[in-house]
Amino acid sequence: MTQGRPVILCVDDEPNALTLRKLVLQKAGYEVITASSGRQALELAQSRPIDLLLSDQLMPGMTGTQLAKEIKIIAPKTRIVLISGVNEMPPDANIADAFLSKVEGPDALCNVVASALSN
Amino acid sequence: MTHEPVNILMVDDQPGKLLSYEAILNLLGENLLKANSGREALEILLKTDVAVVLMDVSMPDIDGFQLADMIREHPRFQKTAIIFISAVHLSDLDRLKGYERGAVDYLSVPVVPELLRAKVTIFAELYRKTQELERLNHELERRVAERTEELRESESQFRSLANSIPQLAWMAYPDGHVYWFNQRWYDYTGTTLDELKGLESISQVHPDFMETVSRKFQHSMATGEAWEDTFPLRGKDGSHRWFLSRALPIHDVNGNIVRWFGTNTDITDRKQAEEALVKSERFAAMGRLAGIIAHEINNPLEAITNAFYLLRDHPSLDQEARYFSKLAEEELRRVAHITKQTLSFYRESQQPVAVSLADVLDNVLELQSRRLQVNGIALDKNINTNGVIHGYPGELKQVFLNIIGNAVQAMPNGGRLRIDLRDSWGRSNGDYGVRVSVHDTGVGIEPEHAKKIFEPFFSTKDAKGTGLGLWISKGIIQKYGGTIRFRSMRRGERRATCFSVFIPTAISAAPKDGSQVLVA
Repeated sequence: MTQGRPVILCVDDEPNALTLRKLVLQKAGYEVITASSGRQALELAQSRPIDLLLSDQLMPGMTGTQLAKEIKIIAPKTRIVLISGVNEMPPDANIADAFLSKVEGPDALCNVVASALSN
Repeated sequence: MTHEPVNILMVDDQPGKLLSYEAILNLLGENLLKANSGREALEILLKTDVAVVLMDVSMPDIDGFQLADMIREHPRFQKTAIIFISAVHLSDLDRLKGYERGAVDYLSVPVVPELLRAKVTIFAELYRKTQELERLNHELERRVAERTEELRESESQFRSLANSIPQLAWMAYPDGHVYWFNQRWYDYTGTTLDELKGLESISQVHPDFMETVSRKFQHSMATGEAWEDTFPLRGKDGSHRWFLSRALPIHDVNGNIVRWFGTNTDITDRKQAEEALVKSERFAAMGRLAGIIAHEINNPLEAITNAFYLLRDHPSLDQEARYFSKLAEEELRRVAHITKQTLSFYRESQQPVAVSLADVLDNVLELQSRRLQVNGIALDKNINTNGVIHGYPGELKQVFLNIIGNAVQAMPNGGRLRIDLRDSWGRSNGDYGVRVSVHDTGVGIEPEHAKKIFEPFFSTKDAKGTGLGLWISKGIIQKYGGTIRFRSMRRGERRATCFSVFIPTAISAAPKDGSQVLVA
């Protein structure tokens, strides 16, 4: 666990959604860094420690579960929360600590993140 | 004209006369045999076939008439032609009458050579013709026997062929009456020919198809066009299987229909495989579509929801703006609820799987168990089958969560909830499947609401419901080829509502009555 506020790496290919999700998490008291692709997220994860990866599942280039696997190699203790607009559970979703539908709303998001960090 | 020579037997006790007959008859080209007495003549007759016997009436020992009597007694010679040669006496003419039935003639002496030749020629020809006829007759009999044997053989070959094919097969008269079925027909239907003979119809045809089957069959019988139809036939165990049925007319040399040869091919497995394929393709297509729409709506929906969430507490907003923001957030929650219900069934798999409705119901009742307890509702569960169908557990759970949830909500002050699961027949088309009935003793459904409850956005629960639950449930059940119905009864203060869901698992069915259809 990083010192001070937990650090969340937030990944989504849609900029508006990414910004708003970051703000919601910041408001909840987290330090949030963002990436708009799996590749960018991996670069960030290599440059600095993170506590939790919150990634969109369906992204061009690399899916959330693929990214989660790569992150686990770099930093095995990283918590993983996958979020998706399509409520189709990906086949290897068990790599994530939690899988969340985007329509659950900000309160549910914060609860799931908090619970993943506390486990 | 060349011909096969025949034997002419000449009988006379005087060798000179025999020589003169020989001289006269030599010209005819026949075989001339000579006998000096009646006895000798009989010996020759027994050894050879003779066409004509030419005999002198007055001979010592056995005279001509005696010889003729003896010849006639023998069955082989009853038709042998006899020419008597005699000096004509009245008494002789009388005796000749006795032979009238046979081929008998006489010549008076002195013999006129032309006359003798003419008479012998006629009898020789007659003999030859008779021989020829007999030969032909014999040949004909032989060929008939041969042909009969061939027919018997081909009939037996046909029968063993007809019994070895996988199809049910039958033959019918030109009017459509079946007079023969192969063994497979009897094995499948459990009937006998005696039971079926003379019947106007074949009761094995599924009652729902009788009218059309009968019409098409009669049309073929009337026009001579080949018959083809697809319909279920009842087996001896009472279940139906689908058959592709065909019949072809068999014509005689003049082109008249002499019989119909028909087959019924079991296509149940093929049909089921096709239907399963269509169904699973439809499922997959709907799943893909739902996924795409869910993605396109849920992504911006999340962003907007988050935006209003952030806006709600923003320091720059005054009281009124905050109020608007709160309203927007509430409305967005409704949108989220609807998309979740319609587009985002949590599906465990892309492909449909075997789902046990018994498990689904257990699962739903587990979820409702707290509310059953809180509302004071007694549960009566009758699970008579596993109710395995092919589909998606998530959406089926949603259907029964809706129906059972409604029933529970209809009994805020307690009551009885009865859940039945059993194998059943569809009411409309006789499909085989499973039926889930959910009975409650709750508030009931107002008659004026009865027609609307399956419409989208119809709700009696005010703000609590989306008004989509039953509409979506109906859509899901229809996708499975099933039906969803309800009945609500009131008697005084007592009320009861029952929702019945039928989902087909197989396409065959057993009709309730044994009514018959005219197919044969």
